[in-house]
Amino acid sequence: MAAMTAALACRGLGKRYGDLVAVDDVGLSITPGQAYGLLGPNGAGKTTTISMLVGLLRPDAGEVLVGGVDLAREPLRAKARIGYVPQEIALYPELTGRENLRFFGRLFGLPRRGLAARVDEVLDLIGLADRADGKLGAYSGGMKRRVNIGAALLHRPQVLILDEPTVGVDPQSRKAILDGLERLVADGMALLYTSHYMEEVERVCDRVAIIDHGRIVADGTRRELVSLVGGADTVELVLDGDVAAAFGKLRAVEGVSEAARTGESSVRLLADGGRYLLPSLITAVEGHATVTAAQVVEPDLEATFLHLTGTTLRD
Amino acid sequence: MGRALLTVSAHELRTRLRDGTAIVIALIVPVTLATLFGLALGGDDPPLRATIGLVDLDGGEFPASVRREVAGAEELKGSVTLRDLPDGGEARRALDAGEIGAAIVFPAGFSARVGAGEGGDVTVLTSAGSPLAGVVAGAVVDRISAVVDARTLAVRAALLAGVPGDEVKELVERNGAAGPALALTGDPLAGGKVDLAVYYGSGMAALFAFFVVGASFRSLLTERKLGTLDRMRAGPLAAWVPVAGKAVVGFGLAMVSVCATWASGTLIFGSSWGDPLAVLTVLTAHVLAAAAITMLVAARVRTDAQADGVIMVISFVAAFLGGSLVPLHSLPGPLQTAALLTPNGWTATALAELAGSGAGVAAVAGPVAVLLAIALGAGGLAVLGLRKGMLL
Ligand SMILES: Nc1ncnc2c1ncn2[C@@H]1O[C@H](COP(=O)(O)OP(=O)(O)O)[C@@H](O)[C@H]1O
Ligand SMILES: [Mg+2]
Repeated sequence: MAAMTAALACRGLGKRYGDLVAVDDVGLSITPGQAYGLLGPNGAGKTTTISMLVGLLRPDAGEVLVGGVDLAREPLRAKARIGYVPQEIALYPELTGRENLRFFGRLFGLPRRGLAARVDEVLDLIGLADRADGKLGAYSGGMKRRVNIGAALLHRPQVLILDEPTVGVDPQSRKAILDGLERLVADGMALLYTSHYMEEVERVCDRVAIIDHGRIVADGTRRELVSLVGGADTVELVLDGDVAAAFGKLRAVEGVSEAARTGESSVRLLADGGRYLLPSLITAVEGHATVTAAQVVEPDLEATFLHLTGTTLRD
Repeated sequence: MGRALLTVSAHELRTRLRDGTAIVIALIVPVTLATLFGLALGGDDPPLRATIGLVDLDGGEFPASVRREVAGAEELKGSVTLRDLPDGGEARRALDAGEIGAAIVFPAGFSARVGAGEGGDVTVLTSAGSPLAGVVAGAVVDRISAVVDARTLAVRAALLAGVPGDEVKELVERNGAAGPALALTGDPLAGGKVDLAVYYGSGMAALFAFFVVGASFRSLLTERKLGTLDRMRAGPLAAWVPVAGKAVVGFGLAMVSVCATWASGTLIFGSSWGDPLAVLTVLTAHVLAAAAITMLVAARVRTDAQADGVIMVISFVAAFLGGSLVPLHSLPGPLQTAALLTPNGWTATALAELAGSGAGVAAVAGPVAVLLAIALGAGGLAVLGLRKGMLL
């Protein structure tokens, strides 16, 4: 494939807060029409990375190129190509949805003439054309999230960077948001999508980087990442009894490569040939606890995360 | 960038006006307070009316001419009244009770001694509570002293020339040093004294300028909390646009506020603040200094609530030390020195100068230069702070 200028690329990005290394040597490259996921638990460094990519935070190290334009050297040109969707709703509650969009459109340099039409277009895109004139403060969480995304689309960016865009959203709005994003990608938009929800990243993104403690520990297509787990299956067990002691026994069972507590009485194991191992797992906990439920899951990104970091995405 | 700047300013202005507090803080409160202070403290006794006690233990021509002159002086008509009191003790009592603003005491035999060329002393009792009455009494006594001096000199000269003692008085009076004629020259109230209504009006203007302009920098922190500031900063516009767009509105509203207080003072009390161009120059320099100081606050605190608190404290401390609340001359010495550290102190000094003298811009070049230096210094620190805090 001929080398295409990446819509968004960064190299060696780093940021420290005192002794804490929030982001360490992060590099990634996204081509037009590609949806790239940054998957990691809370505190992994996703927001810090994004803040540096959109020019809100000066990196301690590394560089950011937007469509080949150096963000540090030509910030305005670079920023004109980026649409940034902040993690929190960043809009004026006392204005209507339409007024919010009009304000940011004008601020981002949309020509006076086309402004109203572009606002209508974006309202259509986020499916709020008929609710546009209510006060934003009175919108539901899902509607606010959609305007939050819409405000980043007004100036027709080539890269859309979203920081956990579905937090606190009802399933219906979530589906609408993900559908909308898929349409944008199909039309050639480059997408950087961060989340700690594996399902969303698996659905939207065709390439995923797994980030933990500020470092990208693996990246590739979903299939590539899942294959890192090898032939291992994920086994989820619900236990009744002395769960801590049982957990100790389980991780010592031959064939179990990783083990993590996922709740008060639940554990997740990564085990070669998981389904055949079930009987020995059940006998291993005897005397400490009883297995009240067991489930064997096909390998997924969650399993990859467990495999790579020894912890779970959500706690 | 012009359009982006205009967009931020328009939004800021709209938010301030919608909020309603902008009008209250910029116009209603300072104008009302200035008017109330002007009425309460500039009201009944000074500057409009004063009663001066006259203790006449002499019964001669000098006290009589004082009565005549005060009654006849056009400038004092309706504003100064004389009240006869039996003795010095009674005068002191009336003064302490606030019944009179000042008293003039003629000792027994005063006129006779002056007539004999021996000179004489008149006592003036004043009270800090009625500076105006003190000024009038002082002016009257100055006049008496001048006449007494002239009289004494003339009598001595005549005696030296060998005129017999019993003819001297007639000779002197016939030759022009005409008795104790106390023609009051000019208005004893004019010059060096500022109407208290002007004083309190300019004080309120200086105080509220801080709140009005500070609210714009505070809103920068509100927008940071809201996340909209980050959204702006991630957009294709220069980093200074949000700050500048808000600063312009804060500056404009503060100018409207100080000018409204100025205009209302002039209309309600009919007292001039002095040369309009010079007053406007001082007020502009003051608002610039207040803007820089409140911007520095916004650069140093974390939240808009903290900004509110700090701006409140700084504004009141600067207002108190700088004579916006209490006239500078009634503060103790060390505090009068501290006034020089506040923009309010320089503004109060400059405006007092303008109102008292009727001078132009040149007369207040010094205070204006200091105000601009404060604006530049605080503004420079503020810009550095805003950069560091990624607000700029
Ligand atoms: N301004 C800051 N000062 C100090 N530490 C910070 C700051 N911002 C983020 N961090 C720390 O950096 C790490 C990464 O945070 P963040 O990027 O927000 O993670 P994520 O978005 O993946 O949840 C966390 O440990 C967080 O506590
Ligand atoms: Mg985050």
